Amino acid sequence: MNFTFNEDDIAFQDAAHRVCAEVLKTNAARYDETREFCRESLDALGELGFWGMNLPEQYGGVDISSIAMSLAVEEIAYHCAATCSSLTAHFLATDSVLIGATEDQKQTLLPQCASGEKLGAFALTEPGAGSNPAEMRTRAVRTSDGWHLTGTKHYITNGAFADFLVVYAKTDPDQGHRGISAFLVDRHTAGLEFSSPEKTLGLRGSHIYEIGFDCVLPLDALMGEEGAGFATAMEVLDRGRVEVAAMSVGISRAARDASLAWSKERIVGGKPLCRHQGIQWMLAEMHAQLEAAKLVTYKAADARDSGQRFSLESAVAKLVASEAAAKVTDAAVQVHGGYGYISDLPIERYYRDARITRIFEGTSEIQKIIIGRAITA
Amino acid sequence: MKILVAVKRVIDHNVKIRVKPDHSGVDLTNVKMALNPFCEIAVEQAVRLKEAGLASEVLVVSAGPKAVQEQLRTALALGADRALHIDTEVALESLAVAHLLKAVVEQEQPELVLLGKQAIDSDNNQTGQMLAALGGMPQGTFASALEVEQGQIKVTREIDGGLEILALALPAVITTDLRLNEPRYAKLPDIMKAKKKPLAVTTPDALGVDVSPRLRLKAVEPPPERQGGIKVASVAELVDKLKNVAKVIA
Repeated sequence: MNFTFNEDDIAFQDAAHRVCAEVLKTNAARYDETREFCRESLDALGELGFWGMNLPEQYGGVDISSIAMSLAVEEIAYHCAATCSSLTAHFLATDSVLIGATEDQKQTLLPQCASGEKLGAFALTEPGAGSNPAEMRTRAVRTSDGWHLTGTKHYITNGAFADFLVVYAKTDPDQGHRGISAFLVDRHTAGLEFSSPEKTLGLRGSHIYEIGFDCVLPLDALMGEEGAGFATAMEVLDRGRVEVAAMSVGISRAARDASLAWSKERIVGGKPLCRHQGIQWMLAEMHAQLEAAKLVTYKAADARDSGQRFSLESAVAKLVASEAAAKVTDAAVQVHGGYGYISDLPIERYYRDARITRIFEGTSEIQKIIIGRAITA
Repeated sequence: MKILVAVKRVIDHNVKIRVKPDHSGVDLTNVKMALNPFCEIAVEQAVRLKEAGLASEVLVVSAGPKAVQEQLRTALALGADRALHIDTEVALESLAVAHLLKAVVEQEQPELVLLGKQAIDSDNNQTGQMLAALGGMPQGTFASALEVEQGQIKVTREIDGGLEILALALPAVITTDLRLNEPRYAKLPDIMKAKKKPLAVTTPDALGVDVSPRLRLKAVEPPPERQGGIKVASVAELVDKLKNVAKVIA
């Protein structure tokens, strides 16, 4: 076992740190307050190649290790979790293409996704199909010269801001999850209806939408093979869960660091807060929970690079890191007292931003099902 | 025009400095290190001159232990063409670095040497000036603007009370101030490409330079801790304290 990062990992972490500490950090509070879409921060990352972190060099990406990618995602979340959410949603879309699309489709689409020109969205979830994607009702029916797509998706991150969407739909409803296929849908296709962005608890700079589909797609909109959509989506989510874990670690680390700094400065009863044992123990617990979350996240990232299936590792990482983020951000509010509850400090934002990590890309309960099945098989 | 840029590995400017308990120096264990910000400005300037077609090659050099290669890679990712690492474990003083750089200048024959005006760790502000003196080259320190003209370079310097503009014959030594430019962020693909750019390693011995220390560090002290304030009951007491305790008014 080797617990040190290599030179590349550190170089990528540094590169992410620089732009995040100078650009993302400046915008984060404004996005939260005004619910403005995190376009400026996303574009700053795009110009520097961060949109292609998950892609190999042959498709315009940077061929970095999953560890390096996790560290970069962590840095981004540390300074602006909303931007992190929009970026990782883009990765869900481009991972879908990378895993499920034909070579032609990859060559056509991915280089622009890597360079920051085309933003993607991943449309799997429906009002009646969240944790149970196999029960989706969106249909794609083959016509003489293409596909007729009908249905409703919701909670779709980037939605109206995306240039293209990867939409999962049933092409053969009798086949259960084997009847699901994926489609590449241009944002400007006639027959797409976007809701206004949902009013969310956290991640307010990262918009999510309900999208209605009643549109005609060309034949080549089918992504890869018919019927392969569900398998693609599950593999995409394995990868996505490592990113949610890294995002959770980033938010936790921001909350821990802020709490340490605050508790060293704030004087209560003649001594700094951190010298009061009750507070010091809270800080110790936050630190320990964060360290544990980091280790399972890096382990899952490492497993992802091994080429083997890593569903178990990514489920463990997502469960542990997101639950840790809930505890650490809650403790951060407590350490700050009333100051943690008002929006002058970013603490209450961390608390709200962390909440979704236990829900999206599979709730904590779904992660337990995945883990439980794997270890009792 | 070939440009040589000298860079230094320093403690990251965001890190809170801790002095070792025995006062022998600053504690570097688990401390984040970075490219000295003024050196980064020097690299940026060299890369901009190259992008403007005014320079043919940017060579970046650093002296120190193997770890300085991290900062050389950063400079390569920012756009330098090749790097030279002068490998030594000796704690280098400004004069030793100036001698090393002079030897590199003799080997490489650059027409312009760019350095940060000082490093944020020891704040010596000496190396550029020493190199210019040793090499018999004109110097323009604290540059806030540069303009390359035929065979010479115009340097705008920030000095007390205003700006001074010098015209230097090449080859010349220029040290960079904060306002010269705003360095770019490294792009991820460029970080990958930097790994493939040439990085040569040499030693002070190979360059024929004796880098043994000439100065003795006696002790490093942290700045005094801020004392808590006191409350005064009246203006008269305040004036009295300012006069007789703080001694800031007569």
